[in-house]
Amino acid sequence: MGLKYIEEFRDADLAKTLITSIRQESKIPLRLMEVCGTHTMAIFRHGIRSVLPDSITLLSGPGCPVCVTAQKDIDAFVAFSRLENVIVTTFGDLMKVPGSGTTLARQKAAGADVRIVYSVFDAVTIAKQNPEKQVVFCAVGFETTIPTIAAGILMAKAQHLDNFCIHSANKLTPPALTALMETDGVDIDGFILPGHVSVITGTDAYRPVFEAHHIPSVIAGFEPVDILQAIRMLVLQNETDRPALENAYTRAVSDQGNLKAKAVMHQVFTLCDAVWRGIGTIADSGMKLNSAYSRFDADARFNLDLPEVSEPKGCACGDILMGLKTPDTCALYKRTCTPMTPVGPCMVSSEGACAAYYKYA
Amino acid sequence: MTSDDTILLDHGAGGKASHAMFSEIILPLFHNDQLARQDDGAVCEVPAGRLAFSTDSYVVDPIFFKGGNIGDLAVNGTVNDIAMCGAHPLYISVGLIIEEGLPVKDLQKILETMARAAEKAGVKIVTGDTKVVPRGKADKIFINTSGIGIIPEGVDVSGSRAVPKDKIIISGTIADHGMAILSAREGLEFESDLKTDSAPLNHMVKSLLDAGCDIHVLRDPTRGGLGTTLNEIAAGSGVGITLFESALPVKGQVKGMCELLGFDPLYIANEGKLIAIVPEHHASRALEIIQADQFGTDAAIIGEVTDHLPGKVFLETAIGGRRLVDMLTGEQLPRIC
Ligand code: SF4
Repeated sequence: MGLKYIEEFRDADLAKTLITSIRQESKIPLRLMEVCGTHTMAIFRHGIRSVLPDSITLLSGPGCPVCVTAQKDIDAFVAFSRLENVIVTTFGDLMKVPGSGTTLARQKAAGADVRIVYSVFDAVTIAKQNPEKQVVFCAVGFETTIPTIAAGILMAKAQHLDNFCIHSANKLTPPALTALMETDGVDIDGFILPGHVSVITGTDAYRPVFEAHHIPSVIAGFEPVDILQAIRMLVLQNETDRPALENAYTRAVSDQGNLKAKAVMHQVFTLCDAVWRGIGTIADSGMKLNSAYSRFDADARFNLDLPEVSEPKGCACGDILMGLKTPDTCALYKRTCTPMTPVGPCMVSSEGACAAYYKYA
Repeated sequence: MTSDDTILLDHGAGGKASHAMFSEIILPLFHNDQLARQDDGAVCEVPAGRLAFSTDSYVVDPIFFKGGNIGDLAVNGTVNDIAMCGAHPLYISVGLIIEEGLPVKDLQKILETMARAAEKAGVKIVTGDTKVVPRGKADKIFINTSGIGIIPEGVDVSGSRAVPKDKIIISGTIADHGMAILSAREGLEFESDLKTDSAPLNHMVKSLLDAGCDIHVLRDPTRGGLGTTLNEIAAGSGVGITLFESALPVKGQVKGMCELLGFDPLYIANEGKLIAIVPEHHASRALEIIQADQFGTDAAIIGEVTDHLPGKVFLETAIGGRRLVDMLTGEQLPRIC
């Protein structure tokens, strides 16, 4: 995106006009969920909560990939780092997430070969440079990241890299929204839908959840004006009782999404059930390697036998991801759980709700 | 010893090879009387006054980047640390820890840059030490610099002197150094012409002091960035700080890169910027003086000191919102200086 573009959507005057409209138009108390962690961070960074009327409560949703990664997946990443001749490659955010026993960061300090990468392609390059080692990539991502991971697999295949593999903890957004809407006690009046994810999925991907629940839903970009615009649309939908699935990010999101990226994703991966931290198993919400690419599956290659585990006691990440709780109501928040000594992933990830509260609130 | 050689363990062993390196490479570049004497330590003349003394080590990766290298970073870093005490930096020491196998021409290039940086800042490199460690025990080269300077009579600059109503000035655009290093890193194919802002700030500080500005606080926001340094000042002085987002000078390219990578420019390192906190009635004069310096053209007043919520820093965002600016927790970018 050009820089001018960013400036335009960060336009302070336009933002102030939107804020005035929202303040005038919002009467019914509303609980709106920003599904995506990037939105959570943007909302805090721009101080958007502080300019909204008291009638609007913003809740953080399940759209932070690290936050929803199950304990067992973290344990698997750690277990790979314990194997001889294995290099574990990961996004930086995962390093400090506590597994049942330890973290990747501590494993690294103790001598394990754990390397932070910025993309799957870096991991493929590491595999190429280290033919005598096995390279495992911790695949944690949503629709924004999965096509790139698929491209990485295709690259490894083209280069005949038999020493590259992934552990897939990839997840899809729309099934999580459906699961949320079907969970008892969940009380949400509208979704601010993720911008980047929607670039890939397209608006149509949210149609099933919208048709089933008639929940006001607006796709938003990440600049203050984008977010405020989406909030205003959700206010209007609620005030006029006309729920709709709308797109406030048309400069990047189409109805069908990025067909090419989706095709690559489905060439390599297939749907599977996935465990979401704190939420549980959601049918068809994950993506595993399909049979044509299963030789890149780290789990099959190393055949780890990991025990069933439970999530850390007292950590309310699951409830927070479903909008049932806010971080400041978690008993551990700021006491035993801080960014230096995180208990749950929501405090570790740069997009986690607890980290955002700690940093900005 | 020629430029085509590589550094061997011998060069750090104190024998013939060490001497050859000193007399053929180091001395000609840093030439001055104290160093030429080759005593165990430097004996220096100092004017009367209080002494400022500072040390810092540099492990930046990569060692060469746009706008500079580890050498001028190390000299400017210590020059600035001394200047931030309100002192005129005079003498510097240099400790080199070199990984075996470093090409001599790389070392030469680094030392040349150090010599030039010292000249620009008006300081002398009067003593030093070189060690060579086996391959893999260090990464190319690490540098430690220490330095001393003299604080003029009547100057009292400290992180504990900010008082409510003071104005906060930054001497230029923030986050340039961190983003320049990041774009020079392997694996991150960022096409950018961003340069480090590494620069000596002692002349700027001298102009401020000479003009009689009552400077309460001077700090250079290096690692941890502006956000972290202001938190230290807020805590040290027991005051609140409010920053104005729309007044913060940030280069367009830096903004764009931070946006893409999810970084906040408030936490990205600077190597040639200072924060000056001055009483309200001195603010415009201080700003003019800083802007007149070659490294201060983009200076701006970016905030003020308050008595609200002592120890905390707040940002008034461009859209009129308000949020906390906390200290950086953890490493945002490792090995940035
Ligand atoms: S504050 Fe810590 S323990 Fe509590 S929900 Fe957040 S991450 Fe979990």
